[in-house]
Order: sequence, then C-alpha cells, then structure tokens
Amino acid sequence: MTRVEAPPPPPVSEFFDSNAYPGETAQTAVTVSTLTQTARDVIEGAFVPIWVRGEITDFKSHRNGHWYFCMRDRGSQIKCVVWNRDQRSIPAPPDDGMQIAAYGRLTVYPTRGEMQFAITRLEAEGDGLRRKALEITRAKLEADGLLDPARKRPLPRHPRVIAVVTSLDGAALHDIVAVVRRRAAGVRIVAVPASVQGDNAREEICYALDQVNRWGKADIVIVGRGGGAHEDLSAFNDERVARAVAACAAPTISAVGHEIDISICDLVADHRAPTPSAAAETATRTRAELRSELRDLSSRVTAATQSLIGGGDQILRRLGREVATNASSHVLHRHASVKQLAARLHALSPLATLARGYAIARSDGGATLSSTDAFAKGMAFDLVVRDGVVSARTEGVEKSA
Amino acid sequence: MTFEERLARLEAIAAELEGDDLELARALALFEEGIENLRAASEELAQADVRVQKLVERVDGTFRTVDASE
Repeated sequence: MTRVEAPPPPPVSEFFDSNAYPGETAQTAVTVSTLTQTARDVIEGAFVPIWVRGEITDFKSHRNGHWYFCMRDRGSQIKCVVWNRDQRSIPAPPDDGMQIAAYGRLTVYPTRGEMQFAITRLEAEGDGLRRKALEITRAKLEADGLLDPARKRPLPRHPRVIAVVTSLDGAALHDIVAVVRRRAAGVRIVAVPASVQGDNAREEICYALDQVNRWGKADIVIVGRGGGAHEDLSAFNDERVARAVAACAAPTISAVGHEIDISICDLVADHRAPTPSAAAETATRTRAELRSELRDLSSRVTAATQSLIGGGDQILRRLGREVATNASSHVLHRHASVKQLAARLHALSPLATLARGYAIARSDGGATLSSTDAFAKGMAFDLVVRDGVVSARTEGVEKSA
Repeated sequence: MTFEERLARLEAIAAELEGDDLELARALALFEEGIENLRAASEELAQADVRVQKLVERVDGTFRTVDASE
C-alpha cells in the first residue's frame, strides 16, 4: 500500500518568513519610521547627557520658539536644538561663530532621520552669553530712555532719611551704617529687606523698591549688596530690577559691590558706587564739608550786607568772622553756644546797629551814600535812624586825608 | 524748611545782596533772614544721632519703622 504523503504545509506567504528577523530579507523589510525610531532608542540609550564643545553656525530662532543651529569643528558637525522650555537657564541666544560648550542628549529626529543634539545648558567662551544678555537688556533700557544722562538726579546735600534696599544680614547694611555713623549727623537709615541673591532676589528687590515708593519718606535710596561672584550679582542685571530702580521717586545710588563690572542697576541709578561703603559716602557729606559750606555762605551774606551799608563800621566784618566761627567745629557740637551766638548775631545786625546810634545816609533815590563823593554842597538827603527818617541838607564836604 | 532748602535760600540771599540797586530796607530784611537760616542750619547740623530702622508694611498697606536691633 502506498503511503499517501501528507501534503506539505502551505508556505506562509512569501512576504512573511517566520524565521527571518525584521529587516533581514526584502520580505521582512521594516518601515522608515521603525528604522529612525529604533535608531533614536538605541542612541538615546547609548549616550548619557554630555558636554560637547564646538563652534556655532546657522543659528536660527524659529517662530515656534525653539532655537536651531549646528555645532562644528574642523571635521564634523552636528545639528542642535534648544527647546523653548530649556532656554530659560541660558542668558541669551548664542551667535554664529561663538565657541560654546553645550550640555545635552544625543538623539535622532525621526521626521528627518537626522541625528540631533538636544541642548539644555550652554556656555560661551569668555562669558559671551552673559555679556550678550547684558547688551540686550541695556539696549532695551536705552531705547526707553532710561540710560539718558539727563535723567540723573542730583543727591540732596543733607538727606535725613536714607532707605537701604538690601539683605538684612548682609555686609552691605553693616558697612553703610558704619560709614554714616562716622560722617553724618541727624540721619535715619531705614533698611528695606530683600534677598540679593538666589531665585527670589529679583522679585524681592522690585517689591522692596516699590515699598520705598509707597512709603514716600526716603530722601535717598541705596540699593545693593556686598561683593560676590557673577551669579550672585545677576539680580542687579535684571531688566525688571533696573526698571524698578528707574521708577524710584527719590534719587538712587546703586552699590552692587563689584569694582570691575558695571551692573545694569548701576547704569540706571542716579549714582553708582563701587561698594556699599562708597555709596554711604556719596550719600552723606561730612560735617566738616557742610560746616565749610555754611561758613562760605555766612561770609558772603555778611560781606555783601556790609558793603551795602557802607562806611567804616567794623562790626559787620567782625560779625562775618563770628558767623564763620559759629559754623566751625566746637560750636556745632554745643547747641547752647550756637543759640547764644545767634542771639549775639541778632544784636549785632544792621538794625541793631541803628538802634545803638548809627545812622545811614540815603539819597532821594534810596541809594546809600557811603562816600564824600556822593555828596555835593546843598544836596538834600535822608538820614535813616532807629525810629525813622530825617531830612537833611549838605552844608559842606570834606574828604578825610 | 529742610537743610537743603535753607542752603538754597542762603545762596539766593547772598546772590541778591551781592547784586546792584538793592533797597536798604530790603537788604536789611535779607540779612535778618540770612542770619536766621544760618542759625537754623547750624542747629540741624549739630544733631549728632544716627538711627537705624527697618521698614515694616502693615496688612493695610501703611508703613511703620521699627528700630533695628543691631
């Protein structure tokens, strides 16, 4: 009996060879999407995020908010992207030609089948990005006229209330208080607390400046902090902080405590001081300076009055000296003497001089006649005495030798 | 009047006294005013205290200052 062979199993389709892995044969070819997506999975799995350095070319800020560019060196290039959400930690978009170090993850962009380096941190050689960010902010403020030298207001000569926007536990406040104590009299320092570094610094400085404005009693506002590293000063390079400084009702001194770099705050403030101590010195005159200012004014007032009254009366000259002495050191430290002296000055004033028996000769026109040259025989004139005016006539004129 | 205003006023008084064609009565009045301003300014300068305070905002948006404990 012939054994009837069982028929062979029908071939699975020509296109589905169960023994071949996907893509091994034409029959098992994978789709393009499978290829690129697999490539992506493999590359992403093979690389941890790393720093890569190179030069930037073809930078484009797309209207979808993402940045696209190439990084290259002499032999190779790689396409790069910085997603919108990752740009916040980067001070400014880089420019073509910048040498950068970028931190990111290598991936594949399936749609184009291209390798792509997705960057989350970016640093330019020579701190280029931070400088560029400063330039951008500066340009904006300049466009709004906030850097115009004509905006700069003079400081009051003798402020009574100095508001200090800074951290309560920082060195800045301490330094300012020490300097003001040494120099100035009758000054109130009002600290307005704000963090000066860290994530909240911008908001807190803006808020403190706003408080000072709403309070409205400061004659001068010092905003600043002691020295520190670059990162620590970033709040003072912030556009909003700069605008808050510009919006201050009272004249401002920026004291960001960095001798070398000028912060945006420094540019906007009415005055810039390299350190908080220097700000306190700018804000206050020493007593000696103010004294000498008063002395000069008193000399001018008395000298001018004396020359108006005319004649050989030495009293006013003496008076001028005494007012000058009044403004000098020992008297100023002793209230009682000042008052006493003021009483004496009053007694020595020209009115009091008349009371003591002096008279002032005056022409019809009211001019003081202080020289024989002003008289002619027969000329009528007035004598101003303590309690009125006497009409007089010139009998003769004789010049003293 | 603030110290600033007094200095400015003194400046103006000095300038006017130094000018020409001044009525005597006016000159005397200016002098008196000048002396008064000098006296007041000197007194203000003699106040030696420096106060250190902290600005505190109340819930209703008004402010008070409290002495800072250094």
